[in-house]
Formats: sequence, structure tokens, C-alpha cells
Amino acid sequence: MANKSLKKDQLKNLLNKVAQNSQLIAPIQSDGITLFRPVKSGEGVVLEYQNSVMPPKDYFFPMSEKMFSYDTSDPSWAIKLEEGVPSRVLFGARPCDVKSILLLDKVFDAEFRDDLYLDKRNKTTIIALSCNECRHTCFCGAFGISPGEAEGADILMTDLGDRYLVEVLTEKGEKLAATCSDLLTDDDGSGAGAKEKAVAPAKEKQLNISIEGVKAKLDNMFDHPIWATESLRCMGCGTCTFVCPTCHCFDIVDFNNQSSVGYRYRCADSCQFGNFTRAAGGHQPRPSKTERIRQRFMHKLRYFVDRYGDTACVGCGRCLEKCPVNLDIAQIINKVKEVG
Amino acid sequence: MNKVTENLRQTAAKLLKDQEVEMVIGYGLGSEAVRTQPVFITSPDDVDKLVWNPFCVNGLTKYLSDLKTLSGKIAVCVKGCDSRGVFRITQDNIIPRDKVVVLGIPCAGQMSYTKLASKMDVTGQLKEVDDKGETLVIKTSNGDFTVKKSEVILDKCLKCESHNPVVADHMVGDKVSVTDTPDDYDEIKKYEAMSPEEKAKFWLSQFDRCIRCYACRNSCPGCTCRECIFDAIKPDWVGKEMNLDENELFHLTRAFHLAGRCVDCGECDRVCPMDIPIRLLNKKLLKDCKELFGMETPGSAEEGGSVLGQYRLEDPEEFM
Amino acid sequence: MVLKRLLEYVGYEPGRFKARWISGSEGQKWADTTKEMTEAIKALGPNKRFKKD
Repeated sequence: MANKSLKKDQLKNLLNKVAQNSQLIAPIQSDGITLFRPVKSGEGVVLEYQNSVMPPKDYFFPMSEKMFSYDTSDPSWAIKLEEGVPSRVLFGARPCDVKSILLLDKVFDAEFRDDLYLDKRNKTTIIALSCNECRHTCFCGAFGISPGEAEGADILMTDLGDRYLVEVLTEKGEKLAATCSDLLTDDDGSGAGAKEKAVAPAKEKQLNISIEGVKAKLDNMFDHPIWATESLRCMGCGTCTFVCPTCHCFDIVDFNNQSSVGYRYRCADSCQFGNFTRAAGGHQPRPSKTERIRQRFMHKLRYFVDRYGDTACVGCGRCLEKCPVNLDIAQIINKVKEVG
Repeated sequence: MNKVTENLRQTAAKLLKDQEVEMVIGYGLGSEAVRTQPVFITSPDDVDKLVWNPFCVNGLTKYLSDLKTLSGKIAVCVKGCDSRGVFRITQDNIIPRDKVVVLGIPCAGQMSYTKLASKMDVTGQLKEVDDKGETLVIKTSNGDFTVKKSEVILDKCLKCESHNPVVADHMVGDKVSVTDTPDDYDEIKKYEAMSPEEKAKFWLSQFDRCIRCYACRNSCPGCTCRECIFDAIKPDWVGKEMNLDENELFHLTRAFHLAGRCVDCGECDRVCPMDIPIRLLNKKLLKDCKELFGMETPGSAEEGGSVLGQYRLEDPEEFM
Repeated sequence: MVLKRLLEYVGYEPGRFKARWISGSEGQKWADTTKEMTEAIKALGPNKRFKKD
């Protein structure tokens, strides 16, 4: 489909229209921080953010979700599955976040297909937004991600100053664009060139990190002393893993309030927690921060590559910024390259 | 290099060389110009990694709990606010006082990384900081930046009751002459004055976005239970589910476990990735314990303990 | 005392939480307190928080 163009002042109308037809999830400012939240209209949607504090991952793989419920007083003991989500549009996902969803697909839509994830994934149309500026912690370039490309999104929009370039990338995107066709005009052909210019600052200003050779190095670093040294300052909180758009470890728990009714839920878990990987009987194969820190970086930069052929980091910079003790994955990447 | 850094390195080198301590916990340069990261020095050859600048925001006393099994003594750098954490940890019998060598650093206020990052390019390496009184000249590999201190100082430092550490075996800097300003709890009074509906609305919207990363707990020198209630699985007192009810239960329980014990260092508030004003809960408890029991800020003196674990005849008895 | 103040601070209505010291021999006080508290809480209506669905 040919590229389209949207006048800047028409964005709100477009979002209003989208919100009428489906659930709209967009970045808003709440108590001073930017988060993706369901909104009723285009009112209050923020665009001048670089990265939301929490990634939009929550709308595909929620921090906490009910899997099913039951009632044993019902003679059939029927298990009641959760209803799926309504048709949704995620607006404003950044290219790194879109990439992270492709990475989650590798986990949840592979040998074992995860119905809870796929229900949300299939019913969500993603409108990505290119980055004109980057945050001081951004380094998506290290993973081959461009602030102006978003493979995996259904529509990609780029702020060109006076208008948005609207690139419709998939069939799902075409369907959505058709519902707003009165607001879109055909791009006069200048869009692609203008886009390159618009995203150039985000490309140039971001941290210059390269992961070349890191995987090969890590293959032989399981017993390296760097993990003990670097983990000393770790506090063992779950901030890095919870703000991460690709972390996807979860725990499954049954809740029953000593009555006939109960439910099972799954919720995000963190490899940095002491309970994680603790087996029945109390054995803990990762007894200290050293093993846990190693697991986090190894999983992202080595194991995920072995299993799925891609790194499980997209350079969004959230953990760099939020880690209370400055345990910085970009710095770790550089250190891994330096050590013998 | 500033004088404090120089003193600090000399003191650390001597302590390590004389084998008086096994480890020195201090601040080292971080991955960005206006950040530092905790460093753990075990050899006199490594003391050059230690620095002191206005970006040493972390409280380091909690690490004493992590490292309590070391056979030798541990030296730890403390500012005024986190010096109270030393007494929290020794009063809670986590580590004996004589296993800790306190390196006190007087502090006139620390600068906020978040605020600085919105004002300057922080991605370079820090070369030097020039303190010009009202302003700071931050020299980095990406250029020099002048910032007004009042615009980038940590909120908690605006009111500080101890710019100078309450305990120090070695004071590595000159006492700062900034006037101590104990909290008047004006902000807490503002929240107290709201109607129950307004309070509920405010707090529930705060608890709602908690992601239960437990950074507040893990950074706290008062949170040293061998098994934390929030980690218990059987029975699961507080569920792992992240929803408003469990989150609220988590926050109220966390806060109340620190009633009469919180040393008011403000770490929980700083480390929260979701900007939940956790300190407003702790401050409320401090205010009440001070009003009801005439408590001084916990950790201000070597002797003492939890005010709620003590009984005096003159204690108020409104429950009778 | 401290917990009561904390709960009220985060928006629980005054009177929803109460602590009273009542000895085993003070039957009348126990009955009166219970009655008083039941009435106060009925007036407040059901608690909307801490309710798992």
C-alpha cells in the first residue's frame, strides 16, 4: 500500500475514531511518568515522550493475569476460562518496543503456543511511532534496530514536523487505515526522504554500543569472576526485569480463599529474586546474586541467541535509567568485550 | 581531585594496608557523568576507584547486611542521612558495631540524576565538578555544563536534619556549615488534611502502578528480616499477584514494619522506578511516633531500638 | 495507635479501625464497645478496599 500522510492537527481526530471502533491503548502522563494506558479518546495522549517507564509488553503479557477460575460447589467442577480481550489498537509503540514484541512471539508463539498471549497479540493492531529524539540511555542501534523502522508493527507513523508519514505495513494495518481513510491523504513521495531526516537525531545521538563478539565471548564466561564483582552492588530488586520489554519469566500461583471458589493466575517473576528457581525441598541452584546477575545477562545475550537466533535486548535503555545501583547492561557489554 | 576524595583514598588505603578492614564500601564513577555506583574495595591498590562528588546518592549501609558473613571488618562510607542506617543495622543485631568502620562524609546535599538528565548531556564521563556555591560546573568528556544547585538537588536534601554524619570512626571531610533543618512535616499535614475520599483516591492511584519490584525493600537498611513476609509462599500472606489490593497490602505492611524504625534516609523513594512517593508513608509514621512517644529520628544514637518495642509509663493510652 | 493513624492517612474512614484494651473481667465494656463499633461501621457502610473478587 502506498504511503499516506496525516495532517498534525488531525491526529486527535484519528485517535478518536480509532477509540470508537476498538479499545485504544496509548501513552499518557500520569503523576509525572509516561505509561501506556487504555484511553477513551485522543485527549491527553502524549507524543513527546522518548520511552514510557513501563514497556507496552503489559498488553500482551500482563504483569499479572488470571488464567482460569473454578467453583467446586458446581457438580461438574467446570473450569471457567478467562474471556479474551476486545479488539484493540496499541498506539505509539516505539521501534524498540515493537521489536521486543517480535522477540516475545518467538517464545509464546513457537513450539508451545500460548493462548493467553496469542489472544491479545492477534486482537491488537500496533501503530508504531518513529523516534525523532532519543533518550540519554538509548542504544537500539546496537541490535540493528532503527528509530525509523518498525518491522512487526501494522502501521508506522513518523512525525515530519507539519504532518505524519503513515506507512501501512500489514493487512491488519490496511484494515485500520481504511476506517480512517477520510483523514489520510496520499503521500506526495517526499515522505521517505523527510523521514530519514526526521529520525537522524535519534540515530546519531544514541549511545554507541556494539555487541559484536559478545556472544562468542560469553560462551566461555560462565565461570568468569566478572559476575561476582559486578553483582556485589546489585540489591536483588526486580526493577531491571520488570521494566524490560523482553523479560518474560513468570510464576503460576493458585488462589483459594478456603472456599469452593478459586482461580489460577500467572504473574511476572524476576530472575533477580531469591525465590526464583527455588525447587521444592528448598534447593536453590542460583543461591546468590552472582548466579542471578549472570543469568540475567547470559539469558539476554547468549542463551536467547542460542535458542532463537536473536539477542533478548532491544536497547531501550529502561534498565540503565532505572537501576538504583547503576548496574548498566551497556557497560556490562563493554566490560565483557574488554576482559580476558 | 577534591580534598574529600583524596582523604578518603588515603584513609581507605591505610585501613586496607594495615589489615584493619577487609573491605571498603564506597562510591565509584558510574556509567554516566552524573551517576556513581557502589564499589567494593579489597586491595590498597584499588583505592583510586573511590570518589566523592555531589552524585553519591546511594545509601551503602544495607550492604553491611549482605556482607555480614565476611570474617574481617568492613569500612563503609556514609553521609548524614544514611549514617543513621549504621545504627539501624547494629541495633537490629545484623552485624556487631565493632565489625564496622564508619567513614563519615559531611554532605551539603546530593544532586538528582533524573533532574540533571533533563538539563544536560549526561552520557559523557565525569572529569571534575567545580562547586561555585550556588552553581555546579560539571566537566565531562562531552563538555562542561553549569547547573543551578537549587534546580537539581534531590528533594529529600531540601530538608535535612543531619548534614554531618551522626557517627564516624574516621571523618574524611570538614564539617559542612549548612544549617540542619529538621522536617516540619508540612507536606504530611497537607495530606492529613484531605478528606478520606481524597486520600483514598490519591493513595490508590499511587499503589495501583506499583510493579512489586521490591527495590524499596531491598534498599532499606531497616528491611533485614531473614525471611521477608512478602517472599513467604506458605502461607502467602501477601499474594504475588500485582493488583490494587495486594499492592496496597504490600505498601501498608512494608511501611508499618518500619514504624519507629525507619531512619528517614529516603532511599525507598529514590529507587522506586514508578515514582511512588513511598517516603510520604514513612514520614507519616515518623511524625506520629515523634508526636506520640517523643521519639527522635531512629538511628540517631547508638543505643535505642524500636520505639514500638518499648514501654514507658508515660506513653499515651488512647486504647484504654 | 500508629496503625490507626496510618490507615486513616491512606483514606480509611476514621472509626473503621479501632483498638481497645479490654480485660477478661470487663464484660460490660466489651459489650458496649462492640455495640458502639458495630453501629459506627454500619453507618459507614461496607468497606470497598481489600476485597479480592
